[in-house]
Amino acid sequence: MSRMKKTSSIEEAIARVPDGATIALGGLSMNSTPMALVRELVRQGKKDLVVVAIVNGLGVDWLIAGGCVRRVVSGLVSFEGMGLAPNFRKAVEAGSCELEEYSEYLLIARLRAAATHVPFIPTKAGLGTDVIKLHPDTTRLEVDQVSGESYIACTPLPVDVALVHANEADSLGNVRVNPKLVWMDNEIVNAAETTIVSTERIISHRDFLAEPHRTTYPRFMVDAIVEIPWGAYPNSCFPEYTHDTEFYDVYSKAAAQPEKFGEFWEQRITGPVSHTEFMGAQGGTSTLMRIRRTST
Amino acid sequence: MNPGTYSIDELMVVTLARAFDNTTRAFNGAVSFIPVCAYLLARKTHAPELVWAASSIAIDAEPAQLGESTLSDSIWDGAAMLANSPFDFWAYAQGGHYNTFAFRGAQIDRFGNVNNSVIGPYDTPKVRLPGGGGMADLGCMIPRIYLWSTTHNPRIFVEKLDFRSGIGWGDGGNHRADLGLPGGPQLCVTNLCVMDFNLESRSMQIRSLHPGVSLDQVREATGFELVLPDGEIAITDAPLDEELRILREEVDPTSERLREFTP
Repeated sequence: MSRMKKTSSIEEAIARVPDGATIALGGLSMNSTPMALVRELVRQGKKDLVVVAIVNGLGVDWLIAGGCVRRVVSGLVSFEGMGLAPNFRKAVEAGSCELEEYSEYLLIARLRAAATHVPFIPTKAGLGTDVIKLHPDTTRLEVDQVSGESYIACTPLPVDVALVHANEADSLGNVRVNPKLVWMDNEIVNAAETTIVSTERIISHRDFLAEPHRTTYPRFMVDAIVEIPWGAYPNSCFPEYTHDTEFYDVYSKAAAQPEKFGEFWEQRITGPVSHTEFMGAQGGTSTLMRIRRTST
Repeated sequence: MNPGTYSIDELMVVTLARAFDNTTRAFNGAVSFIPVCAYLLARKTHAPELVWAASSIAIDAEPAQLGESTLSDSIWDGAAMLANSPFDFWAYAQGGHYNTFAFRGAQIDRFGNVNNSVIGPYDTPKVRLPGGGGMADLGCMIPRIYLWSTTHNPRIFVEKLDFRSGIGWGDGGNHRADLGLPGGPQLCVTNLCVMDFNLESRSMQIRSLHPGVSLDQVREATGFELVLPDGEIAITDAPLDEELRILREEVDPTSERLREFTP
């Protein structure tokens, strides 16, 4: 008997995400976001998604530009020193997209409560801030009956589909992040009903058996593997390539001119069909040479 | 630039670096070039034991130069450990093993609380800002908080925050301790002056004015009333030639720190 293969086309994998689903994006800020999966969500015209993204930027901005989002659940959405995420900012200011704002650790605790099937995870994070006043039902200010100490009770945040990017996977669904996972992707994978992984490469199952200590997610935690080289572009995939500053620059400039953004959006993001065509629209080989990381 | 003359970014970095010592165990968030330079400078001068986790991930990193993001792998070279965020970083932060964090805000109040969420009413904001990220968490967990601002003006140093994304001394006085939170803000270094916090009221007070800056200038640039120290107000100590050389040649030879000074 052979085991089930989890490898999938990007179209089939993303077809598993229903409209209205709660999805969670891996990565942090400009690092390791599953951008190719995000682009496919846009291309398939998903609607009313609730997007959990602990610390994010471009992934959330694309989904909002694509009209896919009902609500963003996040601690931070920005382009770091390159400015505010333009479509996120515009949509939240206009009220066309809801924002459920938490801090980074409050979100981790909520995901962990969902992942471990407990009514809440206690933390001191957020005490004395306005952040905990925003959502008194999901981040409850409580006092421990025994010690008398105040804490925040973070209630479960269940996720329908986690979308994460990795360096290597086998066809059974075992996944490696090289040299190790440093971001919070494990928190969303553990909290999710379904996990879709985009990977730079598919390698043999024997490679996993040879170095089992390097495996990040075991096959039973993963539902679909999609092989997409440069699949985090325009964000980074450590240690292989860094984020593309030039993309952020032209994207922000295009978004600042609403009458021109539609053309940019079609040419650069939604128009190209395959990921190879998409990378071609970003400048192809010269872009890849520019972002390839030479030292680790 | 020649030794003996220096620019405001260099004065800010050196001033902050001198506040750190061999017991400092720090990490950094986004757009944090000034504190990152300060950690590296302190480690290369008077505080070789100082711990700095680049991007909160790469512990003891030794980058030959900085990159355009303080949250990316461009500053991870030479690290002794790449730490995982939830299992390592958040455990070290909550356990008090990290003890130093520097943050800034779109708004800062007299008690060192910060706003990075909205300008204007929360539900109908004039500007939707990125959000506090880990500020609300780390402000509660880390005992030695440092604030900085490269643009000291009354829009940033405000009487009342539009939203408290991260806690400093809270409502002042004993508020922070009453919440069961350790330590609190220690210093605020700006392009005009250095401020610390009154030991009783926990309100911001002037420690020193940068050379050429008057008290009136700082008062006009601050939206709340500053506490004045007893006696004459000091002038911020100038950087030493050796500090400037190390900052310019070894810490940040490509002057990435100036990214914090572009509008």
